[in-house]
Amino acid sequence: MGLFAKEKPRAASPVAGRSDHETSFFGTKLSVKGKVSGGGNLIVMGNLEGEFELQGELVVAPSAVIRGEVKAVTVTVSGSLSGTLTAREKIHLEKSAVVSGRLHAPRLSMVDGASFNGEIEMQKPPESTPPLKGTSRNEAN
Amino acid sequence: MVKDASAGSTSLVSRPVVIEGEISGDENLHVDGRVKGIIRLTGDLFVGASGAVEAEIDARNIVIQGTVTGKVLARRQFEVQPSGRFNGECTAASYEIREGAVFEGISKMSSSRPQSDKAPLSPDPNLKKKL
Repeated sequence: MGLFAKEKPRAASPVAGRSDHETSFFGTKLSVKGKVSGGGNLIVMGNLEGEFELQGELVVAPSAVIRGEVKAVTVTVSGSLSGTLTAREKIHLEKSAVVSGRLHAPRLSMVDGASFNGEIEMQKPPESTPPLKGTSRNEAN
Repeated sequence: MVKDASAGSTSLVSRPVVIEGEISGDENLHVDGRVKGIIRLTGDLFVGASGAVEAEIDARNIVIQGTVTGKVLARRQFEVQPSGRFNGECTAASYEIREGAVFEGISKMSSSRPQSDKAPLSPDPNLKKKL
């Protein structure tokens, strides 16, 4: 009880500490419709509608409203999201998340209180499956 | 990361990001990546040296260090810095074009006629005329 170890919650803000240069930020009052693609991380606080394909982390803040198809490496949702969400590594739904639609990710976590309506698929996408030891499926070279 | 969410808030499109579509809102926007489509802001647009924007733009102040192509309305000032390139048609209340900057196209002063805050922009960026 008396132990006061400095524990930091690690899952909450995965983007902190990354180079700011590569992190895009869409503020509360910004709305984007269309296609967003490319690398780097993205923090969304406003409205997004369309197709998103990111080679990085996507953080959906509590104020954010996203509709459409989202693909990223890891996705953390605290806001509202409807559509198809695909993460190459993992999806995390925070307490304030309101999500409807389909989730695809090899790893998924959800905090008590998060709302989710829809389908979950946890199959690993074939291209990102790490080579298993002892498998003869080594296609490289 | 969350500063004051009031009018002074600035959104960032970083270098590796490409956006095709419409960006609008009550914010400032800093573009280091690529944007194609429509940008409508009540705040300012800043296009960094690595930024490339091909769009119909409506913003308060516009500062260009990178490349901008299209039909542009700057409700206050339009500025092209030495590394900046602009190609298209621009309407602004005031201009600042630095030495070394490239400005190709048409410029109009918005003070010569009454300008509503939301001027209708026709989606035709190829309106090139010889002055």
